[in-house]
Amino acid sequence: MATKRRTTILVVLGLAAAILVAIWKPTVLIYGVQQAGLYAAIAIPMGLVLGIVHIVNLAHGEFMMIAAYATYFACRATGMDPLIAVLPAAAVTAAFGWVVYKLTIRRALKAPELNQLILTFGLGIMFSQLVNLFFTSQTRKISLDYVSASVTIGETSFGVWQFVFVAVAAAMAYGLKLFLTRTTLGKAALAVGQNPKGAAIVGIDVDRTYGIVFAIAAALVGGMGALFLTRSAIFPAVGSPFTMKSFSLVAMAGIGNIPGILGSAILLGIAESLLRAFRATRGWADIVFFVLIIAVILGRTLKWRKS
Amino acid sequence: MILDIDRLETGYGKLKVLFGVDLKVGKESVGLFGPNGAGKTTLINTIMGMQKPWSGSVKFDGLEIGGKATHLVARSGIALVPQERELFPGMSVADNLELGAAWVPRAAGIAKRQLDMVVELFPILKERLRQYVGTMSGGQQRMVAIGRALMANPLLLILDEPSLGLQPSIVAEVFERLALLKKDVAILVTEQNVRESLKAIDRGYVLENGAVALEDTAAGLAKNPHVVSAYLGI
Ligand SMILES: Nc1ncnc2c1ncn2[C@@H]1O[C@H](COP(=O)(O)OP(=O)(O)O)[C@@H](O)[C@H]1O
Ligand SMILES: [Mg+2]
Repeated sequence: MATKRRTTILVVLGLAAAILVAIWKPTVLIYGVQQAGLYAAIAIPMGLVLGIVHIVNLAHGEFMMIAAYATYFACRATGMDPLIAVLPAAAVTAAFGWVVYKLTIRRALKAPELNQLILTFGLGIMFSQLVNLFFTSQTRKISLDYVSASVTIGETSFGVWQFVFVAVAAAMAYGLKLFLTRTTLGKAALAVGQNPKGAAIVGIDVDRTYGIVFAIAAALVGGMGALFLTRSAIFPAVGSPFTMKSFSLVAMAGIGNIPGILGSAILLGIAESLLRAFRATRGWADIVFFVLIIAVILGRTLKWRKS
Repeated sequence: MILDIDRLETGYGKLKVLFGVDLKVGKESVGLFGPNGAGKTTLINTIMGMQKPWSGSVKFDGLEIGGKATHLVARSGIALVPQERELFPGMSVADNLELGAAWVPRAAGIAKRQLDMVVELFPILKERLRQYVGTMSGGQQRMVAIGRALMANPLLLILDEPSLGLQPSIVAEVFERLALLKKDVAILVTEQNVRESLKAIDRGYVLENGAVALEDTAAGLAKNPHVVSAYLGI
């Protein structure tokens, strides 16, 4: 089927790029893959919501930002390590996601897509502005020793901590696959994503399922918020580039294609890392996502015109 | 009485479609006939909670279900084979069937038994349990939809135009299978193909312009001059 083929193409392209870069400049590959892990781990929950609830959540990165702020203050107050806060942050963000779903998203499910986009876009702006209002735009960071751990192999030396994001992304993709294909609730979620009317007819509570899926996605990106705090400084607008990059990855992979998000992330992570490696192209690194997404959309439009 | 509909009225926006429909289904097989646009699907959607009644009542197994949410109606023991099938195209036949039983208390713990019964009824599904439903023909999908409804071990099975888009040979087959089912489950079936369905039902209603025009046994309907001229096309 079409998604299968696209996944294969993305994975093959990603691997080919990886091998080429590995031979030529190993650190570019390593940092590219680490970056890909981060992007994929943030994008996968967005893909889950798009695949099942059919909503593009433009407040996605802001959920991560809020979880990171909550973790930051909890850690500052108690001296706790953000790593310990990953699960509590996930639980709190899940509850927050559920409330946001109940109060806003579910009322827009039948609305035109543009209204849904405006709603989630507005939520995102509201979240970051509220954080700005209460906590100022000051950047905040927690310094941790283990983050700078590095390894030297031959002549190349690189940081290893960020491989944790690769592991998390892979675990997320695999865990979600198991959930959606092996559990009663997961299969119901898949069914709701494919045909909400048919799902209601067999006795599935569609609204509740949407709420649960939204909460699961919030939990995942909330846990990522705590994890993100181990690597980066945070500020109110820290989430929004991740919303855009997640959207690029999800669009490139195609709706409901979680393994495809991993493939796209590796491709774009390496491309970005490659551009960053040269002074002349460094400034272009942040644009590569959007150039590729435009290329993908144009490509698809052309194919659609032809058929 | 398993299903007892009393003076039901409903419609879309300002357009009234059902004008006080009375219909009963006991432990039997009941046909619902009528021309395109008479309101058959609207009546069924109202039973199933996909359409809110404007007035009147829908009682199922003694309880009022008019206006209840669809998933609650399904869990209470009504299984629907919708006109448009409404399957899960990207999932396997096995998963589609399993989902028919997973959320209905009446089917709890007996999914295996129901599955055996369904594949006995439609042997072709047994060979195709792993196939994606979206890749199957319309006739096979119709069988999956009927199978999925039976998985719920329903008290009442509703079929909306089960022969729509099927070859005549398969239509005859579907009705043969329905005739086998009627001793275990109450059936309400809408059909344009009156001739075939008369073989599978005990009683029938003719719905015209949103009201019951006629109500009789299968044998009575087969002899009725209006039915003969309007629906049997002799
Ligand atoms: N979703 C809808 N919105 C507006 N009108 C509808 C809708 N569905 C059906 N109708 C109208 O209701 C009437 C009955 O339709 P329907 O119940 O589908 O009839 P049948 O199933 O007997 O062919 C028709 O006039 C149809 O145009
Ligand atoms: Mg109809």
